[in-house]
Amino acid sequence: MTKYAYYPGCTLYTKARSLDICARKAAEKVGFELAEMPSWNCCGAIYNATSDDLAAQVGPVRNLAKASQIGDKLVTLCAACHNVLKRVQDRLDQPGNEVESERLKTFVDEKYERPVKVLHYLEVLKNEVGWDKVKAKATKPLAGLKVASYYGCLMVRPREALSFDDPENPQVMDDLMRVLGAEPTRFDFKAECCGGYLVVNRRDVAKAASQKILDNAKAWGAEAIVTTCPLCQYNLDKLRVMTDGALPVFYFTQLLGVAVGLGQDELGLGHNSGDPAGFLKSKGLL
Amino acid sequence: MTTFHSSSELLEQIEALSGQDISDCYQCGCCTSGCPIGEAMDPPPSKAIRLLQLGRANELLDSEGIWMCASCLVCGTRCPRAVDYARIAEACRALVLRSRESKVDPDTVTAPELEEIPQQAFIAAFRKSSV
Repeated sequence: MTKYAYYPGCTLYTKARSLDICARKAAEKVGFELAEMPSWNCCGAIYNATSDDLAAQVGPVRNLAKASQIGDKLVTLCAACHNVLKRVQDRLDQPGNEVESERLKTFVDEKYERPVKVLHYLEVLKNEVGWDKVKAKATKPLAGLKVASYYGCLMVRPREALSFDDPENPQVMDDLMRVLGAEPTRFDFKAECCGGYLVVNRRDVAKAASQKILDNAKAWGAEAIVTTCPLCQYNLDKLRVMTDGALPVFYFTQLLGVAVGLGQDELGLGHNSGDPAGFLKSKGLL
Repeated sequence: MTTFHSSSELLEQIEALSGQDISDCYQCGCCTSGCPIGEAMDPPPSKAIRLLQLGRANELLDSEGIWMCASCLVCGTRCPRAVDYARIAEACRALVLRSRESKVDPDTVTAPELEEIPQQAFIAAFRKSSV
């Protein structure tokens, strides 16, 4: 079984356990192993874009240096961790940025052995495992489920540094849902911002931004939404007023878990608002 | 109100911190029309850049708008002149924060919020908006 160094990040250790647990268990079913890297630290949660604030890059540089001692790939799952680690790696590797890059590496005790390719879990499924193999492992396909894939900002922008997917109309999660037997719906706001961390001091703004996204998914006939960011999941799922027809907001790993046959107790459905288990049962998926 | 040096000095600092050339913007408004927070952002991206072009950087630094940008990067992704407004807003926030003025006070977070909101939001909000 191929083993990957894995960076969970702080939120996945606490408030987004169901994103992490399903991912690890589903990986084993699909045929790879997430080996948590030792003594990781916070990625910083958001990329600091000022040109002179090198201190803000040290946390992610240390993680990358530690990871470089294990191998040349590092798998992430949280969209924010992925964004920060990938952008800092890109900054370190940028041609013409050698002086700053060397300075940053001297700030940390850990020796930086080599550039690390930061891979999102979805990239592992698509490019390392391959859709055919994922499809073969989906023994309980999500037949008939209409899903809106919500990527948010951090997975796709900035385009060059992340080189992940189309920043206007990303596809990788739609492809995964299709491979798992679901029907990805068209969805205009798949890469619109949910308001992100503005929830801390401007809950009203994050709530309005998130509601627009939910309404659009519903208008296109989605029955559920999937995401890979704990903060997107929170803003979409917890800021709204729950009603009977409200769309469940799943982590993509939860639906992957359903499709590869994880038990209900392994899906962490207590995390999601409403009655996600009842919903999945009503669709004949649990 | 934060007091800074002359607007031209400020503009130089904003350009250095953001890596953006303010004169690149030709005011097409693509950034503002795509901004998901645009309705709540005063001034919105294109107007903010216009203030800088007109030598009114102090007004931008005193505005609410720079604190509303969540760095979703839609504006810069769509800009036909490759101006990244999120980095300009970041530079403006940094200048205010470096004058020791916080926008978000961690002490105002309530216990239920602390219990519920993912910590990535707190870390991000405090890094962006607190000294």
